Amino acid sequence: MTTHTRAALEAVALGKRFGRRGGWALRDCAFRLPAGRICAVVGPNGAGKSTLLALAAGLLGPTEGSVSVLGADPARARARVGFVAQGKPLHPQLTVAETLRMGADLNPGRWDRATAERVVTAGGLDPDARIRSLSGGQHTRVALALALGKRTELLLLDEPMADLDPLARHDLMGLLMGQSAQHGTTIVMSSHVVAELEDSCDHLLLLGGGRIRLAGDIDELLAAHTRLSVPAGSADLSTHTVVESRTTGRQLSALIRPGAAPLPADWRTGPPTLEDLILAHLRNPGATALTTTAPARTEEIRQTEQTEETTA
Amino acid sequence: MTALTAPAATGTAHTHGSPRLTRWLLRLHRSALLVWTVFVLLGSALLLWLAGPLTDAAAEGWRQYNACGTTPRCSYDQDAILFYKSTYNYVAAAMAGLPFLVAAWAGAALTGRELESGTAQLAWTQGVSPTRWLALRLAVPAVAVTAGASLLVLLHHRAWSAAQGRIDTGKPWHDVWTFHANGPTTVALALAGLVAGALAGLVLRRTLPALLLGLALAAGVWGTAQLLMPHLWPAVTEETSLQQGYGHLYSGIQVDHGLITASGGHVPKLECYTTVSGGCARELEKLDAVGYYSTYHPVSHYWPLQLTTGALVLAVAGLGTAAAFWLLRHRTATPRTTA
Amino acid sequence: MVEYRIDRHSGVATYVQIVQQTKQAIRLGVLRPGDQLPTAREVVEATAINPNTVLKAYRELEREGLVEARRGLGTFVRRTLGSAPAESPLRAELEAWAARAREAGLDRDDIAALFTAVLEKHAEHPAERHTGSHVEQHFQGEPS
Repeated sequence: MTTHTRAALEAVALGKRFGRRGGWALRDCAFRLPAGRICAVVGPNGAGKSTLLALAAGLLGPTEGSVSVLGADPARARARVGFVAQGKPLHPQLTVAETLRMGADLNPGRWDRATAERVVTAGGLDPDARIRSLSGGQHTRVALALALGKRTELLLLDEPMADLDPLARHDLMGLLMGQSAQHGTTIVMSSHVVAELEDSCDHLLLLGGGRIRLAGDIDELLAAHTRLSVPAGSADLSTHTVVESRTTGRQLSALIRPGAAPLPADWRTGPPTLEDLILAHLRNPGATALTTTAPARTEEIRQTEQTEETTA
Repeated sequence: MTALTAPAATGTAHTHGSPRLTRWLLRLHRSALLVWTVFVLLGSALLLWLAGPLTDAAAEGWRQYNACGTTPRCSYDQDAILFYKSTYNYVAAAMAGLPFLVAAWAGAALTGRELESGTAQLAWTQGVSPTRWLALRLAVPAVAVTAGASLLVLLHHRAWSAAQGRIDTGKPWHDVWTFHANGPTTVALALAGLVAGALAGLVLRRTLPALLLGLALAAGVWGTAQLLMPHLWPAVTEETSLQQGYGHLYSGIQVDHGLITASGGHVPKLECYTTVSGGCARELEKLDAVGYYSTYHPVSHYWPLQLTTGALVLAVAGLGTAAAFWLLRHRTATPRTTA
Repeated sequence: MVEYRIDRHSGVATYVQIVQQTKQAIRLGVLRPGDQLPTAREVVEATAINPNTVLKAYRELEREGLVEARRGLGTFVRRTLGSAPAESPLRAELEAWAARAREAGLDRDDIAALFTAVLEKHAEHPAERHTGSHVEQHFQGEPS
């Protein structure tokens, strides 16, 4: 089986509720992320980003539906998945060097010492410094070193760049991209800052209110939408899916998903930016969701899992 | 730089086999291990001192005291007697507190704080599955607790025995603190404390509340064990006539005592020991009493009681362990059963 | 070796910027036939852009016959582009023209505007941004 047909992450009717009476943190999630992609998980606070990542990492069990990771159950894929939680938890009493040694000991046979050390030394960190004495950015660097040192096929990063200055952010993002370029690592990272992901990510999962709003290849998603501005009252948008429309004076501006019929030549249209697309969908929770990479059917997932088990 | 490369070399050399978790568990809880070691060593030293010089001095004090007889002015070593007594009580209190100490630590540091800070989740996304993580977190401290507590119990029993028949105010075998400190129930209670704390941490996932819940659960186990203990082994019932008065009363673990009526019924807990005093005589007549009964455990029941109570506490600990694993598996992703 | 500089606010797609900068380097003789392009890993580590973007740019260059990917080795320049190497007479002429423009009192923007206007009249537009083309996965192995 080759990497490009395999899903790194695949959710079917995935839902998670905390407590028996609690609200749904995530519901009816269905998407498929092909392997080798760099995927941005975007959404406002409380949209379910962390829940989704924790489910994929096997830290939480789903309430309904299922998620499969690298074609297997998250509980069976632990060794092949790296995860950095939002709080970047590390043992404060250990030194930097001890933390990396622990990574080596906990991941026998999968530990890439050179990479882990490179991440740490590039930040000018003293190996003998205690974790509790590190700044926020240095702390993140060690947490990423631990995740990257574990040579994984899928990296799940929850708000990885939040505590970093712009220089360190560029640096570490470059490092992540390099990792993906060299090993084909799939990277899934959440953020609510779209700008920091735009150049690095090629796949988008937009979450809002615990549901998928947009899922798919970023270029495909952008191509599926058109920004237009036409004189108000003159345009009939009924054959298109309107994500957002606004009338200012005599001008109607809208973001639409064009239907089958070609748009009239006299309409002023243009491609949306990624930020346009995301903001329009978040401002209009009523707009229908769009998934460009269709999830495989359940039977297919089962089959993949079974092959996985027989080969393992 | 050297510090970073040198130790990591052993990590890469270790390319097969399972992750070395025990080593890191011990490293992470190094200070707890140190405190426990100091506690056990200090307790052992104290118990050895108690069994030897302190007992000897107090026994000599009692010998002097008893030799005095009715001599009006007679000197004996009262300080030695009092020092022995207070030392014995402190050690017994420390041993009684052991399960609670373990419970508080397990709840706060072993599971609660790790789940609160996310380092537990960090381990789960490194090479350690949640169940292995918990199994190790219970097994390694269990070994340390069993070893340390067993040593203390043995030394306590030795110190207690040394005083028997030599120190008049020595605690009887059925004194509640002495009973536990002398036998394996302390070890069982300490293990139950470990499980109680670990479970509290898993339930609450926060340090301080877990510490408190761990203590409360341990207290619950202790109380339940104490309540059920006399009923875990058939007690001896001794019946005596009114003239004889009570036979054995409070000379073992007392379960029940009272009057026997003419119809053969038992009227429990009537504190009338004599037929002479007016009030009691009327009362006895009114109840149509024909004798006394006393239900108790004699010293020969010491081991059956220790073992049954220990087994009960261990069974509770086992249930707690099962609950902890169930909770963890329920919360985290567990391998789907392939139907 | 070229170093790509990505301008996030230029409005030109990132992969097009790489294509253009590579062509510029080939055109100016900074890259010559047989030279190796930086690996995707080197580019993304320096720029923090998506590896697939680099691969897409390299594929575009390969499609145009400017470079070739040798499996396991890297991507190499195949041929020169245009006939304007750094030391060509055309460049000397342009330099002379630019000097005259300076003397005539034109500033940098004036010269650029003039040059662009002439260029627009005589030359084709650069490649437009492609959208919706599916990027096939293909990772470049490091030479080992």
